[in-house]
Amino acid sequence: MKRTGLLIVSLVSLGLLAGCGSTPKGGPDGATGTESTTTGVFTGDGSGGVGAGGALGGPALGGPPRVGSGSLDQVPMSHRISNMDAAGGAAGGEPEHIVHFDFNSSLINDEASRLLIQNARWILAHNPREVIVEGHCDERGTRDYNLALGQKRADEVKKFLVSQGLDWYRVKVITYGKERPLVFGHDEFAWAKNRRAELRIAQ
Amino acid sequence: MMRLFFKVVLLPAMMLVSSPLQATLKIDIQKGGLNPLPIALPEFVILDANGTPIAGGDMGQRLAGVVTDDLKASGLFRPLNPSAFMQDSTSLWKTGPRFREWRLVGAEAVVSGAVRAYGGQISVDFFLHDVFQGALIGPGKRFTAPLKDWRHVGHRVADEIYIRLTNEKGYFTSRIAFVAQQGRRKWLALMDQDGANRLDLTQSENVLVLTPKFSPGGDQLFYLSYEKGPPRIFRWDLYTGRRFMEGDHQGLNATPAWSPDGGRMALTLTKDGNAEVYVKDLNNNTLTRMTQNNAIDTSPSWSPDGQQLVFNSDRAGTPQLYIMSSQGGQARRITYEGQYNAAPAWSPRGDLIAFVQGGRGKFRIAVTDPDGRRVRTLTDSWMDESPAWSPNGRVILFSRQRGDRTQLYTIDLTGHNERLVPIGDGLGGSDPSWSPLIR
Repeated sequence: MKRTGLLIVSLVSLGLLAGCGSTPKGGPDGATGTESTTTGVFTGDGSGGVGAGGALGGPALGGPPRVGSGSLDQVPMSHRISNMDAAGGAAGGEPEHIVHFDFNSSLINDEASRLLIQNARWILAHNPREVIVEGHCDERGTRDYNLALGQKRADEVKKFLVSQGLDWYRVKVITYGKERPLVFGHDEFAWAKNRRAELRIAQ
Repeated sequence: MMRLFFKVVLLPAMMLVSSPLQATLKIDIQKGGLNPLPIALPEFVILDANGTPIAGGDMGQRLAGVVTDDLKASGLFRPLNPSAFMQDSTSLWKTGPRFREWRLVGAEAVVSGAVRAYGGQISVDFFLHDVFQGALIGPGKRFTAPLKDWRHVGHRVADEIYIRLTNEKGYFTSRIAFVAQQGRRKWLALMDQDGANRLDLTQSENVLVLTPKFSPGGDQLFYLSYEKGPPRIFRWDLYTGRRFMEGDHQGLNATPAWSPDGGRMALTLTKDGNAEVYVKDLNNNTLTRMTQNNAIDTSPSWSPDGQQLVFNSDRAGTPQLYIMSSQGGQARRITYEGQYNAAPAWSPRGDLIAFVQGGRGKFRIAVTDPDGRRVRTLTDSWMDESPAWSPNGRVILFSRQRGDRTQLYTIDLTGHNERLVPIGDGLGGSDPSWSPLIR
């Protein structure tokens, strides 16, 4: 999988996904079959037994996506700094990569706009190889709706970045719905942190 | 076809007093188990090759245990404690019920059963008696199956008792596909409806999998996997273990739902700009776009006749349920109460739609008729979702998140009899799909 080898420069990633990114499972190109092992469930002779051990199957699929699959057990360092501080303190440095949303909303608010403008400038200046926008939701609401809402948030961020001069085809989008919370908690603080889009910038 | 190798024989009412009158013992299923029927399920006797009762192992007890647990979990039956029984199983099998004694222990129905095991096969006979009428309810029946499927035979007996006493099909010979969960790890798994015989399907630590959905034949699953990067719909043939990716459209590919005839899939794609519902013909792979608007349209579910789709859309500002023809056309809004009505599941009986009703900080399971006129909230917890119907349309399976833990529960459509589905090994579970009956 081509993303495995990417240098993920997000502060979050550096802090907490470092171990994950270096996991040797699947090798550098991830082209192993171990991630797509399947189990035959019903014996095909019609005897109907539920037993393991049918045909291994499927086309040879790539390895798992490495992006955003780490577990984050605490609020990462970068989020203890307010967005304003991170933005203001980043004289020429890399801006904060996370923007937040209101409940059930994909509207890019003023704070998010400021941050995305900084990101767009940084990306145009540094010309990274790949930009991935991940859309995320808080844990409330249904699985399906949150998948679509995460997609919509990420798509809105992509549109905004493109409006700032980025090439449409360079920005990739993926939704995780409510599957990848940044903060584990069940209160408004955690929910507000988890309603977000994250930029993953690979050089 | 997923068919258990199963023989069913109607037994003559040998050695039993048979009444020409139709037995009248019936459970009023609409009351949802407010008055569960007291039933006696003594252990099945073990028979030798000549049909003579012998002492031999605990299979008779285990079979009666499966039947007992099924009927009890339905909420419609109250299996009696066997330690109070006055007539032993052998005598019950040989001479028939001494009805006066069964009345004394409070039974309204009594089951006499026998099991024979030979050459890797198991053969189970059973009779259901109406204690007050002193008569058989239906004919005796024999099931034969490979010994390893003995639990399935027990479920089959439970299905028979259920249909004879409720006039509706049972659901005990069915399976659940779900996303098993341990810590942050999730994988696809199958198990019997009672939580037994769990089989883990996916092995990966890192690939996120979501929302398995049984095919109408119960032999295949659609599900969502992130193994290619963004979420894509896959098909898993449970017979062979073969998997196929069902399309690779730009953006989100999600919420696969098999049409009742198995020929089409309803799904959500964002390839045309935002989340819209589409129908894919599985024979020629043509896609038909069903919804056209600038809102999130998702979670399609088919009416049992395949003519309509119910889905949720936030075109009016908040997620609400809509119904439209599966041929396309205008959608009709059916929910107006509350700020969040989503994830509809159309009952296989067609009369009700289960859904997730959000409001006042909670997400609960509710049902409505397809007109949206009679909405009833069934559960009361903080985050209940993913309703799925039992094959007979009586019971709703759903997931409940409490804090960090998500587990599977069932509830009767009347709102009674909420129960935890035991998964075992301390695992959590979510995204349940309920198979059709497996015969």
